[in-house]
Formats: sequence, structure tokens, C-alpha cells
Amino acid sequence: MRLPAYLYVLPAVLLFVLFVAYPILWVVCESLYGAGASHPGGFVGLNHYWQAFQDPVFWRVLLNMFLWGAITIPVQMVLGGTIAYLIERHTHRSKTFFRVMFFLPVITSVSVVSVVWSQMYAPYYGIIQEYAKLIGLHLSVSPLGEPILVIYALILVNVWQWTGFSMLMYVAGLNNIPGELWDAARIDGAHGLQLATRVIVPLVSPVTRSLLLLGVIGTLQTFPIVHLMTDGGPDHASEIFGTYIFKEGFVIGDTGYASALSTLVLVLALGLSVIQIVFLGARLTPAGAARR
Amino acid sequence: MGHAGGRTDERELVPTGNPQMKTRAFVFTLLAIGLLSAVPADAQQKEITVWSWFVASTMQKSIKAFEAKHPDLKVNYTYYNYSPQYLTALKAAAASNSLPDIIGLQPGSFTQQYREQLAPLNAYAAKEWGDNWTSQVFPVALKQLTMGNPPNDTNYYLLPQECQVLCIWYNKPVFQKLGLSVPKTYAELVEVAKKLTGGGYIPLYQGAADGWQNENVFLMIANQLAPGLAEKAQAGQAPWTSPELVSALEAWSALFKDHVFQEGALGARAYPTGAQLFAQGRIGMMALGSWWMQESKFPPPLSQFVQNMNGFDFFYFPALKEGGQISPPVGGVDIGYGLTKNGEKNPEAWKFLASLVKGEALQEALNDLNDLPSFTGFEPQGDITPNIKEMYNRFIADLPHAENQRIAHPEIGQELDNVLAGVASGTVTPADGLKRVQDVTDKTLK
Repeated sequence: MRLPAYLYVLPAVLLFVLFVAYPILWVVCESLYGAGASHPGGFVGLNHYWQAFQDPVFWRVLLNMFLWGAITIPVQMVLGGTIAYLIERHTHRSKTFFRVMFFLPVITSVSVVSVVWSQMYAPYYGIIQEYAKLIGLHLSVSPLGEPILVIYALILVNVWQWTGFSMLMYVAGLNNIPGELWDAARIDGAHGLQLATRVIVPLVSPVTRSLLLLGVIGTLQTFPIVHLMTDGGPDHASEIFGTYIFKEGFVIGDTGYASALSTLVLVLALGLSVIQIVFLGARLTPAGAARR
Repeated sequence: MGHAGGRTDERELVPTGNPQMKTRAFVFTLLAIGLLSAVPADAQQKEITVWSWFVASTMQKSIKAFEAKHPDLKVNYTYYNYSPQYLTALKAAAASNSLPDIIGLQPGSFTQQYREQLAPLNAYAAKEWGDNWTSQVFPVALKQLTMGNPPNDTNYYLLPQECQVLCIWYNKPVFQKLGLSVPKTYAELVEVAKKLTGGGYIPLYQGAADGWQNENVFLMIANQLAPGLAEKAQAGQAPWTSPELVSALEAWSALFKDHVFQEGALGARAYPTGAQLFAQGRIGMMALGSWWMQESKFPPPLSQFVQNMNGFDFFYFPALKEGGQISPPVGGVDIGYGLTKNGEKNPEAWKFLASLVKGEALQEALNDLNDLPSFTGFEPQGDITPNIKEMYNRFIADLPHAENQRIAHPEIGQELDNVLAGVASGTVTPADGLKRVQDVTDKTLK
């Protein structure tokens, strides 16, 4: 009786092995072999990992990734949640219009977003400059060219693009709250901040946890927006794992070191996911929350 | 009766209800489609596969000309954006041994990454054009072909299709309107930039978020202070920390500090933003190269400046340091092609490669003003105005004396890009920056 059951899962297992497990294994093996100028040819053991820990750019990347996650995830949650609340509770006929408008950046091509934002940031011909002129201001720098500002300028673009996704998730979460609970809260006199912190936030917490998990994974997967807007520059100031691995592997051709960096990202992602699952566990979904 | 009978027959032929009949009809249809699609439109045509980032519209003209001469051959061209699409596609195809017959390359680091997958072309070229074929290649291009090869490896793994000369283009009507002339000294360059800014124009547009544009400008400056020294430095024959190169990096930094480059240059891209603004007449000057002439061949509508290149002319950097000299021409191979080990097995592939670098396919690219030829004896034909012809001839006259613009090793190129950005942003000093480049060079050449 068990054999047919195994046969049913076989296609999924085969696909997993072929497209997930094998590439991971291949990358891990590749990280132990030399390629490129730093370790030309042959088995090099854990040298690439040692090289990463001694590489100042690696630590810069880690810092940037931390900033990216620490700012992007909560800001998107707060903005997305607030927008969702305002749309769902304070609009009527225009509900769909606002949902679509705020979700539009999510489905806009990253290439378009990067070109538009690069031009917005630009002094001389940027849109922000045009508005600044009206109040007599002259922008003298582009935040994309300032080592101290560049990562925050990119985070702002990312938040702008992905807040609509958080909003959509919270829209679903808010609509899952039974009408009786809203009525009960109103009868009990809950309103304003009290309503938000005592009623809404706890009830949409499964969405928040899902967004946290997706946010961490999304942070580690970030690539196109940085690649297109700054390519990790100036001088690694906005370097993230995606751009650094791409440069090492595809531009410099040091596939061994690039594989080691990829493996470290994988370990980091696994670690962060395990921590979240241990602490959040089955409570990621509304159904799970109900089982608490 | 006949009509009725006919309708009855049709109903019998069309399987409307029987599932078995439905299945059979479906299978037969699939087989028929499969058989039809398996037969090529022209069974006699042999296919040549090519991947590159070369402008697709120009490549199609080249292919058309080649196929007209070789009606039995069909070229299947796949265009990719250079980064990241082309770089990743090549890497994946190389790893899975599925590279096409011919791939677009640039000399130095790019070619070296795929050397193992490329066929040496010396014998092919000698057979096609005679033993003395290298004498027809512009010296700077020939020198670049073996850049990064292991010692004693004299093979050519790519052949150059087009060359380029770097320069500073300027907008003639804007200069005339503001009463400006081509700067002869650094002080004049600063003054021109100041007047352009005052006139509401972007002075010297630098897409400093692009490493390649920074490298180009730096090499123009470095070669005016010490011709050939940067090339020696990347080969380990001279230190990057030489006073002349430090001085060049200081001059590079000054272009930002003195607002010769536009404010916010480090966040700007040369393409598409810079090129669009330049074509629209909003920029006074821009560091590009001979390839800029192709703008005049793009589909309309074209701006008044771009039409027949009426609004543009070029110059080389004036001496940026006291006692210096005007920048010499700097350039080399714009694009070349390599024959892959897979392409080596296709006896027809070489024919197209030869056509691309020294045949009808090249001629079409030149007619589109894509860039300059790498072999002597070619010039654009067709609808070329005297103005463009005059500029083209100036480039061709300068090309034989051009200094090398390519970096052989990607590690060194990347570090130089980082340092140029760091110096421009003020976070790295020129001396410290070049020490960093030297360290990477030592490690790479070890």
C-alpha cells in the first residue's frame, strides 16, 4: 500500500533533486576547488571560506545586507499595514482603485524602476531637482554617487517597489478578521491606537510573520535593482551578496570564490529560516494562529 | 441526394462522439505536426549559430549580406544585453558544453575566461588571407589579441571585427551659442565647463556609475602623462604607484572637484541616460568614442544634432597637468569573435567569422557606422555625408597610433574601477588607490 504513495511523491522528489539539491551540491563542491587568479586549479579545501572572512568587501556586504533587511522589512510592514487599513476601513467605492495603484510598483519591471529612480535622483535633469527648483533649492549630488547615502537611496527604491506587496498581504489579513470582532471592539470602546495595538496587530500577526520570513529571504535574494542602479558601487559602498557573487563568478571568473560566497549565503538563509521556524513555527498562517 | 450523402460522409469522417476515435485523431495530428516541423524549410541549408551583444539590426544586415553570398548557409543570431544576460548565458553554456559556433568577445580578460572553449584561429586566418594577414590588422588591435595569454601562447582566440578610438565629443551648436571653442588647456576646459553649466547645460557628462567609462577617461589621462605606462603596469612591468599614474589619478579627481564633470556624476549612467541627453542637446561634452557616429544611422526620429552628426565634433583631452601634452588616441578592439570548440566541428562556421571580420558582413556593419574596421582597406559605403566622412577619416588616421585601452585581467580591471570610484567620491586617496591596484596586480600575476 505504501509503494503507490511513494510513487506519487516521486515526481516532486525528482524535480527537487534535479533543480534544487543537485545545483546546491554542485556549488558546494565547486567552492572547494580553485578557479581564477587567487586559487588557480585543484582542490583548495576551505581556503575560499577563509578568504571570505578575511575579505573586507565580504563584511561590507554583510553590513549592507543587515541594513537592507533591518530597514526594509519593518518599514514595508508598517507602511503596507497602514495603507491596507486605510483602504479597507476608510474607502468604499475607490477600494479597488487604491489597491491597484499601490500594487502597481510590484508588477513594474525592475529595469523601468531603476531607470526612473536614477533619473529622479539625478541633479540637473532629475524630477526631484525640478521640484526643488520651485523652492530655490539646487541639488549638488546624486545619493547614488555618495558612499554614505547610496545604500539608503537603494533601500528607499526597494521599499517603494515592494510596499504594495505588504499592503496586499495585510488586505487579505484584515479581511480574514471576522466582522463580529470589529463590532465587539467597537462596543468595548476600542478606537485609534488602542484598536490598532490591541485588536488589529495581534489578529494580523500571522501575516506579519509571513512577511518577516519572506522579507529575510527577499533581502538575501536582492540583485537586479542594485545591479542596474549602482552595480554595487561606488567602490563597494552598495555591494550586496547578489552583485558581489555576480562579479566574482561572471565578470572575474573566480567561480570557486563565488561558489563559496553562495554557500555562505545559503547557510545564512538556512540559519535565519530555522530560527524563524523555531520561534514562529506553525503560527505562520491564520490557521496556525488559531491553533495557539 | 448527393448533398445529403456528402454531408453524411463528412459526419462519418469527423469523430464527434467516440473517445477512441478522438484519441487516434489527436495522435495522428500530433504526428503530422511533428513530421512537418521536423522537415526544415530548406533541407539544404546548413546552420551557423552566433551569440553576441552586437546591435541586432546591424547584425541582421550583415547576415543578409553573408547569406546572399552563401545561399546554402543560414546564420542563427541570438542577441543578448551585455550584462548580465550575455555574461551569464555564456557562463552557463560553457559549463554545459553548449556554446554556439561563434561568440562575440573583447580581448583580454573576457576572452581569457573562455580560452579553454575556444579554437586557435591562426591557421584559419593564414589559410584564408595568407601568411602575412597580420600586417593588415591595426597594430593596437593585433597587440590586444593575445592579451592575457599564458607565456609562450601566441594563439589568437578571437579575431577583431571593429576597433574604436576614444575621444571627447562636443555639441557644436551649443559651443557656438555660448561662444566657446575647443579647450587647449586644463584652465580652458574648466572655464568651458563653467560656461556650459551657467548656460543651463550639463558640462562634461560622465556616467561614473559605469566602470568602463571611468576606465576610458582615466586611460586617456594616464596616456597623456606617460604613454604606455598603464599598459606596462597591468603587465607587471611598471608599478601602478608610479608618480605619473598617481598624477593621472589626481587629475581624474580634479575633474570632479572642479565641476568639469556634472554634479552627481557618480550616480549617473552613460547609457541610456547620458547618450539620450547628449543626443537631445542637453550636454556640452561627453567622453565616448568613434562608435558615437552610429547614432546618425539609428531609425528616425533623430534630433537635429544627431542627423548626419551635424551637431557634433570631437577632440582629445588637453593637457590636464602643467607640462603635460594633449591625450594621444587611446582605443583598440571594440568587438571581436571567437570560434568555439563546438564551432570548430561545424565546417561552415569559420566562413561567417571570416566574413564578420574581413568580408561582406563587416562591410555592412561599417556602412551602419557601427565603428571602425580592424583590418586596413575598408571604409563605409553608401549614404555617408562629407561631414561624417571627414570625422571617420580623422579616426582612421589616429587608429594606427592608438594606445591600448584594454585591461588583460578582470581582477585588475575591477579593482581599478573601484579605485576610480573611490577617488572620485573622496573616500580613497590616489596613492592609496593605486597601491590597492598594485596589490591586486601582484596577486593576479603571481
